[in-house]
Amino acid sequence: MVSNETEEKTITTNELLANYSDSVQNGLDNGSKYLQAFHTLSETTDGQSLLSAAVSLTNFKLNSDFVTFPHQFSDEDVQLIFFERLLSLSGIENNFRISNPQRVQKLLCKFDSLGDQTFTFTKSTKNSDGFFFGPTLNNRPLFYLNLKNKELMFHGASLIEYFVVDLDGLEIDAIKNALELLTKAAAILKENFGFKIDFNVLDGVNGEFYQFAAGTLSEDVMDELFVKSAENHFVLMAEDNGGASLTLGNGTKMTVYDANQNGNRPKWGATIRDDQQNENWLYLLLDYPFIKKWYLNNQKQLEILSNQFIFG
Amino acid sequence: MERQMETDQFSQNDTLLSSALNEKMQYLNDLNDSVKNGDDLQIYQLMDPNRYANELATEETEESQTDHFGLASDLTAQLSHHLSNKLIDYLGATYPFFYYHEYELGKFHIYFGNWWDHRMFGELDPINVRFNFDDNEYQMLSKSFQLEAENRRVNDDTMQKLGDENERITKLIGEQDQRDKRKEEIREQLKENQEKSPMPWEAGKVKEERQRLNDEMLKLTQIDEEATGGRPTIKENENKILALSKEETILSLEKQNIRATFGSFDAFIENNNNLYTKYLQSLSKESQVSDGE
Repeated sequence: MVSNETEEKTITTNELLANYSDSVQNGLDNGSKYLQAFHTLSETTDGQSLLSAAVSLTNFKLNSDFVTFPHQFSDEDVQLIFFERLLSLSGIENNFRISNPQRVQKLLCKFDSLGDQTFTFTKSTKNSDGFFFGPTLNNRPLFYLNLKNKELMFHGASLIEYFVVDLDGLEIDAIKNALELLTKAAAILKENFGFKIDFNVLDGVNGEFYQFAAGTLSEDVMDELFVKSAENHFVLMAEDNGGASLTLGNGTKMTVYDANQNGNRPKWGATIRDDQQNENWLYLLLDYPFIKKWYLNNQKQLEILSNQFIFG
Repeated sequence: MERQMETDQFSQNDTLLSSALNEKMQYLNDLNDSVKNGDDLQIYQLMDPNRYANELATEETEESQTDHFGLASDLTAQLSHHLSNKLIDYLGATYPFFYYHEYELGKFHIYFGNWWDHRMFGELDPINVRFNFDDNEYQMLSKSFQLEAENRRVNDDTMQKLGDENERITKLIGEQDQRDKRKEEIREQLKENQEKSPMPWEAGKVKEERQRLNDEMLKLTQIDEEATGGRPTIKENENKILALSKEETILSLEKQNIRATFGSFDAFIENNNNLYTKYLQSLSKESQVSDGE
């Protein structure tokens, strides 16, 4: 102890100055590392560099005891810049733009086809690498993005709440334009970057199982679909598997059934088949108002499950 | 002498017996062959020669034919199963909206349609080539056709009543504030009324007023109670309306299908009544075609 005290007392002015300049230098180096990554984020034309720049800028500790930077982009902003640049590098950016680039710290974005609605990323409280993308107005988590873990998951219930209920009355094509952009972006992340994607209600692949939250379905829910379909000149047919199917326009066929018929825990849900593999659960609700009404009347039972750990 | 006659009689009896047994054996052989050859037409003829003759004979025959079906009648279930095969193929084309389920050997439930929650509509009797429709289901369909001519539906009245009831309760629930306000007024008026010390000749009037206010208060509280218990009633009525709408949806699909195939309910009935003849004629046409090949 004594010798330590003596050592401290013997720091010379030169050493002190050197320590100081090292600390400032480190802070500046750190800053220039940040800046370098930031340049890459905003200017690179290489997708992989774009991704690694975004990852390194997320949760980047820019300030140090000796050097602080008063104007910084937030982690949320980094995600949005990445997303915007990903779209523009992929050539699918029309309809999407960052709406207030002059305001550092809370960037917002817009889909041209959706008018004045703005969107932004919000950091997950469970995972500092995870971000929810949603409308600024009510923050419904439309999808979850984790660049570090290479994950993107759509949240079915929120997507429906927002695009089907909140935006009710807007042109369906305008809504689909925005959604197509999101699914395209996700597809690019999957194919070019190896992301794990849960398309959820936006999955158009034939046979994708949209699982209902209730597990079981009461008979009157199916009765209601039967009656509503008939009112719209579609006949809900009984299927051999105990479920029912509706053949809709353009050869689109929706089937509702219990996927765990032989087990003791019912697992009701729906699948959609169409030649183009375009139609997904959300589009179905947009395209057929009577199915939307049925869904909303029985939302407690029919809500589509999403990843409960991340969104719960 | 007597004995001689008896012998003759007995020997004649044996001949008759033998020929009768031969006939029976022949019958069973024929039946067996028809089953093996898939000659359903002949099976029908063997099972009920008189009906066959009456409904299919080209020329009138008064003569009654011997019916040996008693010999095989304990095999009805197996025969019914055998005959159902071709019959259901035929019905598949002529009554495309009926579906059958063999719930035990040779016994078939008929389902009308293959839509969600289709009705079990009765039974198919392949031996007699007949639909045995369920009385209730058939009557309901028949009534639905009748009412349709008057632009009405079977459940319209009930549905209307339930709908009106729900509208009434919804209104009662909505008017709660108004009632509460009125009750407050009545309370004030009752208080005033009690504070009055009327002249003897006015006492009757004051009492009358109090009675009137109390009556109104009681009535309002009763309505309050109905409104409070109203939501479950509304839900219950909605479920009833849904069940009735489903019934109407099913009836409407049934009518659509009958019309698409037969043109009218009468034509459907007519066809049902002649099903035996029509089916056997079709079998006979088929066998002629295959003979000609």
